[in-house]
Amino acid sequence: MANDPMQQFEIKKIFDLPDIAGQDLAFTNASLWMVVGGLAIIGFFFLTLKGKLIPGRMQSLGELSYEFIANMVKDTTGPEAMKFFPFVFCLFFFILFANIIGMNPYAFTTTSHLAVTVFLAFFTIALVIIAGIWKNGFKWFKIFAPAGLPLLMYPIIILIEIISFLARPITLSVRLFANMVAGHVILKLFAIFIAFLIGKGGILAGAAIFPIIGTMAIVALEFLVAGLQAFVFAILTCVYLNDVYHVDH
Amino acid sequence: MTIKSDPNGIDIATERPSDLDALNAKLQAAKARRPQDKAPSSNGNALGMAWRLSTELIVSVLVGTGLGYGLDKFFETSPWILLVGMGFGFAAGIKAVLRTADRMDAADANIPLGTDLPDALENEDDL
Repeated sequence: MANDPMQQFEIKKIFDLPDIAGQDLAFTNASLWMVVGGLAIIGFFFLTLKGKLIPGRMQSLGELSYEFIANMVKDTTGPEAMKFFPFVFCLFFFILFANIIGMNPYAFTTTSHLAVTVFLAFFTIALVIIAGIWKNGFKWFKIFAPAGLPLLMYPIIILIEIISFLARPITLSVRLFANMVAGHVILKLFAIFIAFLIGKGGILAGAAIFPIIGTMAIVALEFLVAGLQAFVFAILTCVYLNDVYHVDH
Repeated sequence: MTIKSDPNGIDIATERPSDLDALNAKLQAAKARRPQDKAPSSNGNALGMAWRLSTELIVSVLVGTGLGYGLDKFFETSPWILLVGMGFGFAAGIKAVLRTADRMDAADANIPLGTDLPDALENEDDL
């Protein structure tokens, strides 16, 4: 019985890979569960590939998930942003599956590591910057200087805009990471408490019913959070993609 | 669509559409009975909104402070740029939160982004 609630986030090497540029590379449990997540997503969409006129259950799921993300992209950014649909779709499903797989006993929550969430967030922001400059040229930097302000305000506003732009990848990654870690730690603490109370025996063992109810409630909440954080990440990606298309907002 | 009024033989080709039509009628009736909810997922989103707003505020302050700290280290002017950076970070946080809140309001009212709110909506809290 592991008594340390942080132990579940420990990274373990499964096998070593050859070093690249002096970096110690290894296939870890995090890598393993990311591969599992990827395979689960591929498997899920294979099951939805029937392509009947009147969709069955799985096909409906596939179609619904397509429409859900497509509407999100169209409503938040606009129809021209459908070029980025595959990216948002992958992002949403990777995070959703990682979060939900992490809810299973013995599974590892890959999104509970900053290394993973920071990479996802930085990639998203880098995409916004590159696509923005690609599309608008250097006019893209106008997003830091909204039009129609007194000249004196510009140094202040530009600084503020740059800070809030730099905050974006950090908010994206920290939010997902903190949500997943906090939920899993609370879950583990409640579970440890149950074992502790039952171990004490007598009337205390009976009192274990309260943390059991608490655990069940938190499991339900964590499933909500798992979906919600994937949704928030995807919709914020769409919001940030706005800056590619609407430079003078 | 025509239904053959054949009392004993069931013609599948004509049976099918009538089934679909009946289903369609049922669906329409069910839809009419249901209250019109404009944002079906907005309730479950409350938690997401709270997370978005709070992290934006906090992280903006941290980023501003961090930038100030870095510049202080570089120019050896500690702690002045850090303090200014903290102020700017706070301003950036407030601005980001206000912008996000605006966006959420617009999404709630089903108004496309970029359009100005009509007067009636803007003065809603004056009523």
